[in-house]
Amino acid sequence: MLRVRHLDMNELLALRDGEGAAFARGHVETCEPCRRELERLHGVRAELRALPTFVPPRELWSKVAADVKRRRVRNRFALGTLGLAAAAVLAGFIVMRGPAASPPAEAHDVWVAESTSRDLGPFISRSRQLETMLRVYSPTPRVYDARTALAVSVLEDRIVLLDRALEESHAIGVDRRLLVGLWDERVETLETLVGLRLAEQPERVWR
Amino acid sequence: MNSDALVLANTLVSRARAGDLEALEGVYLAYRSAVYNLGRRICGTEEDAEEVLQDTFLEVCRSIGKYRGDGSLWGWIRQVAVSKALMLLRRERARSGRWAGGDGFHLESIGKTPPEPTGPIDLEVALNRLSAVTRAVLWLHDVEGYTHEEIGEMMGKTASFSKSQLSRAHRRLREWLD
Repeated sequence: MLRVRHLDMNELLALRDGEGAAFARGHVETCEPCRRELERLHGVRAELRALPTFVPPRELWSKVAADVKRRRVRNRFALGTLGLAAAAVLAGFIVMRGPAASPPAEAHDVWVAESTSRDLGPFISRSRQLETMLRVYSPTPRVYDARTALAVSVLEDRIVLLDRALEESHAIGVDRRLLVGLWDERVETLETLVGLRLAEQPERVWR
Repeated sequence: MNSDALVLANTLVSRARAGDLEALEGVYLAYRSAVYNLGRRICGTEEDAEEVLQDTFLEVCRSIGKYRGDGSLWGWIRQVAVSKALMLLRRERARSGRWAGGDGFHLESIGKTPPEPTGPIDLEVALNRLSAVTRAVLWLHDVEGYTHEEIGEMMGKTASFSKSQLSRAHRRLREWLD
C-alpha cells in the first residue's frame, strides 16, 4: 500500500504565501491533515500581526534632537573651516606665484567652461535649473514663521559658503573629487531650499 | 490618505528635509511606535529597541535630505530601522561570542539555550524563545511582509537561508504552542 507523503513546512509556507507548486495545491485539497496545518499557519501569522504593540519611552527625542544640534554646529564649523582653508591655500598659491599676468576668471566664467565636463557638468546644469526654480517660486522671498525663516537662512548661508569654497577651489585647481563633493553638496542644498519654497506655495496647513 | 492629510504630510516632509527640528520631531512622533516595535520584535529586549529607535532617528535626521519622495516615507524609515536592528544583532552576536561566521549571521547559537518548556506556551513567550536570527526572519517575513529575497539580501545571505529560517521558526512554534 502506498504511503501518503504529507507536505513539509517549506511547501506549506509557500502555499500560505501564494507560491505553492501545483502538486502541493492539489494535495492540500484532498489531504485533511495538510489542510489543517495550512490553516494553522495562516492563524499563526494573523496572531503575530495582532500581538500588542509596545509603547516607546517619551524622552528619547530629546537625545536625538541634542545630537542633531551638535552635528549642525560641527558641520557649520567644518564648512566655514573648509572655506577658510581653501582661502588660505589660494593666498599661499598667489604669494608663491606672484601677481597673475591676467586677472583670474570670474567664478561664473569658470563654471560656464566646466559645464560641459563629464564630472561636473550634470551638477552645474542641475544647479542652474534649481536656481531658476527658486526665482520662479520665490520672486519676493517670504516666510511664514521664525523656524522656516531660520531654515531658509541656514540653507542660504550654506550656499554662500559653498560658492566661496567652490570659487577658491576652481581658482587654485584642487582635486576634482573635492570639487565634485562641493558641487554635490551645493545641488543637495539647493534642492532642499527649493523643497522648502515649494512647500510655502499653498496655504499652510501644518502647525 | 485624504488630500488635506497628504498636503500636511508633504509639507511636514519638506520642512523636515530642510532641517526644521519641529518637523523632524513630527516625523519622530508619527513613526516612533512603529520603529520601536520593529526593534523590540527583532532584537527582543527593551534596551535594544531603544537603541534601534535612537539610531534610526539619528540616521533619519541626518539623511532625510536624501529621501526623494519616490516611495512612502514609512517604507524608507522602516528600511533604516531594519538595517539598524540587524546591525545591532550582528554586533551583539559578535560580542557574546555566538558569531562564528564571516557574514555576521551564524546559523546556530553556541550559547546556552533555555530549557524546553514542559507544556504549551503563549505566542509572545514562544517568539522570545526563538534564536534572534530566526525571530528576525519570522517577523520580517510574516509581519512586515518582506520577501525572502529581500531578507536574504539584508542579512547578507540567500533567499534559501531566509526560507529555511522561516520553516525552522514555524516548526519550533508548532512544538511550543500546541
